[in-house]
Amino acid sequence: MAANKSQGSSLALFMVGLTSACAGIAGYGGVVVLAIGVVLTAIALWKFFSIKPLEGKVALKSQPAVAKLGGIIINLAGWLIATFSLHMTKSVGGRMIGVLIGIAISLVSLVFVLPGACNKNAIWK
Amino acid sequence: MKMTRRIAAMCILGTCLFAGRVAHADPTPADAELKAGLSKAPVAADMQKGDPGGSITGTINDVPVSDATAGLTTVDVANQVGQNKIGINFTWTLICGFLVMFMQAGFAMVEAGLCRVKNANHTYMMNFMVYACGLFAYWIIGFAIQMGGVGSIGNLGGVAPLTTEHPFHLFGQTWGIFGTQGMFLSGHTYDVGVMVIFLFQMVFMDTALTIVTGACAERWKFLTFFVSSVLMGAFTYPLFANWAWGGGWLSQLGVNAGLGKGYCDFAGSGVVHAVGGLSALACALIVGPRIGKFNKDGSSNAIIGHDISAVLIGCFILAFGWFGFNPGSTLGASAAGCLRIGSVAVNTMLAGCTGTFGATFYMWILKGKPDSSMIANGLLAGLVAITAPSGFVNTVSSAIIGLVAGVLVCLSVSFVENVMKVDDPVGAISVHGACGLWGVLSVGLFADGKSNYGGSWNGVTGSVTGLFYGDSSQLVAQMLGIVTLMTIVFSITFIINWVLEIIMGQRVSIEAEVAGLDIPEMGQLGYPEFLFKKEDESLLPADQIALA
Repeated sequence: MAANKSQGSSLALFMVGLTSACAGIAGYGGVVVLAIGVVLTAIALWKFFSIKPLEGKVALKSQPAVAKLGGIIINLAGWLIATFSLHMTKSVGGRMIGVLIGIAISLVSLVFVLPGACNKNAIWK
Repeated sequence: MKMTRRIAAMCILGTCLFAGRVAHADPTPADAELKAGLSKAPVAADMQKGDPGGSITGTINDVPVSDATAGLTTVDVANQVGQNKIGINFTWTLICGFLVMFMQAGFAMVEAGLCRVKNANHTYMMNFMVYACGLFAYWIIGFAIQMGGVGSIGNLGGVAPLTTEHPFHLFGQTWGIFGTQGMFLSGHTYDVGVMVIFLFQMVFMDTALTIVTGACAERWKFLTFFVSSVLMGAFTYPLFANWAWGGGWLSQLGVNAGLGKGYCDFAGSGVVHAVGGLSALACALIVGPRIGKFNKDGSSNAIIGHDISAVLIGCFILAFGWFGFNPGSTLGASAAGCLRIGSVAVNTMLAGCTGTFGATFYMWILKGKPDSSMIANGLLAGLVAITAPSGFVNTVSSAIIGLVAGVLVCLSVSFVENVMKVDDPVGAISVHGACGLWGVLSVGLFADGKSNYGGSWNGVTGSVTGLFYGDSSQLVAQMLGIVTLMTIVFSITFIINWVLEIIMGQRVSIEAEVAGLDIPEMGQLGYPEFLFKKEDESLLPADQIALA
């Protein structure tokens, strides 16, 4: 399935829903408009989901969710270590070491863990 | 009784007249000089003769008078001076914003030129459509998240309505997380200064969004690209931009944690390019490589673009637009420090030049040919890297920064393809991600402490100074920005696009990918009258298609 009318109408609904939700947050019509926006966005997402199988086969095998989630957790751990190192010490050298450790952990996730997870069942393998 | 009232009224009138006489009877020497100047100003008869030399156009006659009875006063002149300053800064910032907007054309040509002819219309359309997607998302909510709590921007007259930053309390300090004023640019934010900063920041945001389309070109479903771009323009980009430029926690690292002047990113190596490049990496991982890019043994095939001339012209358009990107980030041409615009522009040119050299010599020496597409990326790499430090470094440093970026982009392209096995048709991850991070780091190394934008930066008195000029704490602030980009920004984009993959799918069908995306996705070929040559069989491996 290529681009089609169902995609177009679902996308239009998504944009109306998102705009309404933002208008509600901004105070135009308050909670009612916000609720309408959320409902319309949810319907649009459901419509996207329902027409997804019509796309046919794609050149992409399933990517293991647990490995991907693990990669993200390792990645975020890098940030936590870097950030909390600011609190652990006042010395510039100590903070720099903490941030470097954080960057190294994050790099491992970005360069090895996540690409490995996403390519685990790649069609070229 | 009537008589008494009359006398009282006359007394009041007399007092008022006397007071008025006193007020006007004793003009200051400056007022007297103004009146003398007014008497010598050209009259209507002089003007009717024409002014070929331009010497009598724009005189004291053109200063508006607030009170006709009092005539021209020093207050009128001072008001006009203030309005001139803000007018100059508005004009400068808007024109620079227009230049940055034109960069979209450069990106479109570079990306489409590096893709195959069967996907030309689709690639051009992604670059075209991302402008509208980003602008709309930014207007409804993105701008408020990014700049809603920025506070005062003196160069633009204050932008007083943007004052509400949502706080977060940690380690005994208050940190900004996101702004809340300015959704739909309505209410108090219906303000001339706010409109200028909106336009300028919007085109920056759109630059970040358009980077992603290059990395996912030739297989990204147009529908999913649309939704992903809207969400990035609404949430991902504005969040990091708030932390760096909108008064958020990274910019407060100097005030709250004693780290230099806080995270410093003059024009957006981190905020724009690294956000775009790392988001591109996240999306490319989710979307997966094109059919035929990698072989069974993991080696990669070069998939050559269809129009190198479009790529090179596109690069020149981008380099031209960069003169809006970097010098425009002073947000003015008439205020403290703003005259560094010349220095910023020269730094930008030099880094682009040495970036081109870096890539040229790397490819020529190691591969035997000065590869056109890599040299084009070398120019862009130099420009990306100098974007953050352009306002804080001297020309020698900018040349070094560009040269390093030119080599780095070549190494990174090879690494992303051969080690990470990520398919990036245009090298966006390397040009904008790797070199964007290098640009952020280089502020912490090369900032020379000579810039002075009103005496402080991010609320910390003094000039931004890097490690090589004596302030190692600035380097820590920059590194914290880098780790935030690599973790928070990347993770948000990765999770959003993972969810979109589950809900709507990221990729086009195999049939569409093999045939080319122009007809299935856009309904029209980019070049309908061209006779396409048959694609190399090695790029359409039957085993990969069958496996899928």
